[in-house]
Amino acid sequence: MQERKIEELVREASRKGLSRRQLIQRAAVLGISAPALTVAMTKMAPAALAQDRPTLRIAQNAADLASLDPHYAAGTQDRALVDMVFNGLVRFKPGDSTQIEPDLATAVPEPSDQGGKQVWTFTLRDNVQVHKTGKSDAYTLTADDVVFSFKKAADENTSAYAGDYQGITVAKVDDKTVTFTLDNPLSPTLFLPKVANYSGGYVVPQKAYEALGADAFKTAPAGTGPFKFDSYTPQNSVALVANDDYFRGQPKLAGIDYRYIEESSSRESALLSGDIDVINGLPEGQWVDKMNKSDGVKADVFGVGEAIWLEINVTAKPFDDAKVRQAIALALSRENHVALFGAPVGETIYSVVPAQLMPGGLTEEQAKKAGVIYEQNIDQAKQLLAEAGVKDGFEIKLVTSQMDDYRRNYEVLQDELGKIGLKIDLQVVQHAAMHELIRKGTNPLVIYVAFRPTADTYLTQFFTTEGGNTNFAHYSAIDDAVAKARTTTDADEQAKLWQDANTQILKDYAAYPFLIKNLVYARSNKVDYGHELKSIVQLYPGIDETTSISS
Amino acid sequence: MAGTANPTAASFEAGAHDNGGASEIKLVSQRQRAWRTFRSNRTAVIGLGMVVAIVLVGVFAPLIAPYAPNEQSTINRLAQPSASHWLGRDDYGRDILSRVIYGTRVALLVGILSVLLGGVFGTAIGVIAGYFRGKLDTVLMRLVDILLSFPDLITGLLVMAVLGAGLPKLIIAIALTITPRFARIAYGPTLAIKEKEFVEAAKALGQNNRRILTRHILPNVSGELIVLASLWTASAIRLEASLSFIGLGVKPPTATWGQMIRDGVTYLTDHPWFSLAPGIALLITVFAFNLVGDGLRDVLDPRSRS
Amino acid sequence: MLRHIFRRLLLAIPTLLVVVTIIFLVVRVIPGNPAVAALGEYASQDAVNKLEQQLGLDKPKWVQYVDYMNALAHGDLGKSMINRRPAIDQIKFVLPYTLELTAAAILIALILGIPTGVLTAVKRNTWVDYTGRVFSLAGLSAPSFYVGLLFIYFFAARLGWFPAIGAGDFHHLGKNLQTLVLPAITLGLIETAYIARMTRSVMLGVLSEDYVRTARAKGLAERIVLSQHAIRAALIPIVSLVGIFTISLIGNSVLVETVFARPGLGKLMVGAANQRDYTMLQAVMVVYALIIIVINIVVDIIYTVVDPRVRYD
Repeated sequence: MQERKIEELVREASRKGLSRRQLIQRAAVLGISAPALTVAMTKMAPAALAQDRPTLRIAQNAADLASLDPHYAAGTQDRALVDMVFNGLVRFKPGDSTQIEPDLATAVPEPSDQGGKQVWTFTLRDNVQVHKTGKSDAYTLTADDVVFSFKKAADENTSAYAGDYQGITVAKVDDKTVTFTLDNPLSPTLFLPKVANYSGGYVVPQKAYEALGADAFKTAPAGTGPFKFDSYTPQNSVALVANDDYFRGQPKLAGIDYRYIEESSSRESALLSGDIDVINGLPEGQWVDKMNKSDGVKADVFGVGEAIWLEINVTAKPFDDAKVRQAIALALSRENHVALFGAPVGETIYSVVPAQLMPGGLTEEQAKKAGVIYEQNIDQAKQLLAEAGVKDGFEIKLVTSQMDDYRRNYEVLQDELGKIGLKIDLQVVQHAAMHELIRKGTNPLVIYVAFRPTADTYLTQFFTTEGGNTNFAHYSAIDDAVAKARTTTDADEQAKLWQDANTQILKDYAAYPFLIKNLVYARSNKVDYGHELKSIVQLYPGIDETTSISS
Repeated sequence: MAGTANPTAASFEAGAHDNGGASEIKLVSQRQRAWRTFRSNRTAVIGLGMVVAIVLVGVFAPLIAPYAPNEQSTINRLAQPSASHWLGRDDYGRDILSRVIYGTRVALLVGILSVLLGGVFGTAIGVIAGYFRGKLDTVLMRLVDILLSFPDLITGLLVMAVLGAGLPKLIIAIALTITPRFARIAYGPTLAIKEKEFVEAAKALGQNNRRILTRHILPNVSGELIVLASLWTASAIRLEASLSFIGLGVKPPTATWGQMIRDGVTYLTDHPWFSLAPGIALLITVFAFNLVGDGLRDVLDPRSRS
Repeated sequence: MLRHIFRRLLLAIPTLLVVVTIIFLVVRVIPGNPAVAALGEYASQDAVNKLEQQLGLDKPKWVQYVDYMNALAHGDLGKSMINRRPAIDQIKFVLPYTLELTAAAILIALILGIPTGVLTAVKRNTWVDYTGRVFSLAGLSAPSFYVGLLFIYFFAARLGWFPAIGAGDFHHLGKNLQTLVLPAITLGLIETAYIARMTRSVMLGVLSEDYVRTARAKGLAERIVLSQHAIRAALIPIVSLVGIFTISLIGNSVLVETVFARPGLGKLMVGAANQRDYTMLQAVMVVYALIIIVINIVVDIIYTVVDPRVRYD
């Protein structure tokens, strides 16, 4: 009788993340002495014994999840959660995304040439267990799962990232070996992110996926990661529990209580009150300072940052006149935009591809040398407008999302361009509506906020004909250069090609890069992520089997 | 629906509803008497004074405000109050005091116009439906039910999504949420009053419907409506803030109290004035309208005269 | 009475159909669509088109409408276009939280509002009156998200009296009630002002009525006069106000739900509108319209209890 009481208590303690001391106190209330508790706990199953491990409570900036199928996960809130449940063949080193290390594969391979085609061969670890689900048992991951997963990722009916996997053939060699054969060779910089723990690279285990079904998988996924999906409470939370069979070892946490809290002030208060251990913070330097002055909490600022830039439609009147575009560039000031976020959250960039984060971007020095920094010069800007025959200025109708990152930068742009006589009629629309409208071409001037894993993705999506409706600039001058860079396997040469393309964009005034906005998360002092926080592509601090909370 | 009727309203108007010319004269004297009643109500006069002052602040904002309301300086964002910026600067480095002063304009426009618009249409719908009954009643009140089936925020959100952002559209959206409320409140008493002796008498005397509606029905339902209207002024301004909360409202960079409260609330702990100042301005405005509303109610409803 | 209820329900059907039709059309006209919202900004146009196809959004609108109405007639509210879960499940999940919050808020509004109204009426034009009115107006004009965040900051982060966020599940009543206190007060304060104003207004009228004066003149204790005559009279408009509030609170508590990170119908509705989750928004609107109908009928029934005169109608 008492044992059952204890077991219930222990489960509750694990769910709520109570410390051992709190557990003993609660037991005392029920008339259970500490020694009795210890004796009873040693008799219990090892899983229940994980009780000493606390649960990490983390609050994300979102109202709800959208999809936990990793091949659909797009928002920060989904990407972070998916990362705790799934693995890639290789992974970005925890805390430092500039390095790649093995994940499900035993090693990061070198490409080989087979019959004129580039082939990448991966050998799987032996001891990878797929999570048990309500409809399927745990089993050892095999090459079949990997082949299935990449076929799924490449299929537009089951993946949002299908475009990244065209021209790639995945095949099973034996139970532990898979090969990727590429129609066109890629440099490691471009290929490895496709098979890493990001977007389409997460390995979705076949049997679990098929047992659950595509729809159910979106809100109840199963993978191979350090944490298993446990339950989903709409608009409220997702609970994960430790995967004690994880191939890197038993997690130090009992589980994750992943909360959806949209309002930043609520998250802040919840952290300060101790209701939450880790929160997605306000991306502002002043906020970071404030949090670091508060007792018991610490704010971390780290990469990867999302780039924020202005793109100008080079085909729309009157912006087809380079003088008008130049005038706009000269009316702007990076400092105005960076100041919205403040150091160290906002960092100046000098090309749309952020040099801080990846090869192919322009550093300040390089931009200066190329003459594409464009210091603010209102008089010259006005004169250029006069030369272009729009002396009296004109009105530009633009839409912006209600999200701060967009609205604020548009409002500063409005102020800046107002000084050279260009009046911006700014309409605030709902975020998803903005994305649709700008893709339809409503905005001749588009401010965009995005992280992309490689220079190739940035340039292709936003500045080449291939980018389609996200080539907001309607720019085509670097189509060939980007295509050439893509198949260049020499890293230095490739980076040089990308830098030249970036310079060209700026010389044509097709874009004006403002800044990268780094990630800001705050945590209780007791939380130790288990790794440094330098740059993390999954847009959260990275929580895995090494993350712990001290009591 | 006799429940919402005004049980003693009949006695109030009974004396004033005779025939043609005599009632015109009486009406004038009645108006004077009303003004006298209003004037004798000290709090109502104070309220009126406040409303006038607020309107003046709105009209002469450019003269009163120390800075241009949209002048940015992001380098100085969220500066604490100082001698040059009494309430500090907002998240774009704009002067908070100047924006609160300019915000008066939007608040008055939203508060007054949307309630007026919604009040006129709503009351008309309610009174007409209640008076004429029949098919017209069914159609009109069904329409009201349909409008009431949409929560305010959803109505606002959808109307703004269809029409686009901007002040006139915001006013329409808010008026649309207020209209059915007025209609509902006006409807019940109309049903009750319609059956009263003096209305019957007026009909018997051959007065036309328009005259009965404006002279007899409307004055009797307006007391309650005016009190509620003064409260809905607050709701209207608050709804502006709520729509701002979900990111829809007037076009930037127009200063509005709602948007300021919304933006300022993020910095509640270390920059309290950012949200508190527009909040207090809102409270004062709502209070002023309310005092006036109470005064008007006393004028229109003699029961509460002391 | 039963016939009356049945008639009301029958009359509600066309209203319901119009509401659903309006929502169906409006959400499809406004910019933004669920495929874009679900896939995020990274997804290619091809991926968006594919998902639209899967969701049936590529079909002509009238076909979509007929399909939808057909399913609705069979009681099928459809699946969310974002997370693909049955809409009805999510509504069933959030509804208790919304009802709990609404009931608590109204209770608080009545507890605070009626005494304030009575007091300000009895002590008319004294400092009691002014203070009461200023406070109730402050509650009315302060946006709920503002008050909510202030409460969270002081009572949770600073004092630690209540949890900052969340909603306890219904199996742990204590925890559940703990998380209910702050949001209920936040929401209740708005309606307190209305109740207080209405009570004050009605009380002023009643206090000048002959029968109250007579009662007073007869020397009946002030308290008895108030409780027996005046408050009873004030009950009638209050019942109708409570009906209106219940409806408006269920739909408009979204900001409080957002600030306190509580599940709720309002949040589901605004979330669906923001994500352009057509089916979900339609489903919530159907349920919401049904709730309104039920509440209106309940209010009618209560009327007949509180005000015997209604029976003669």
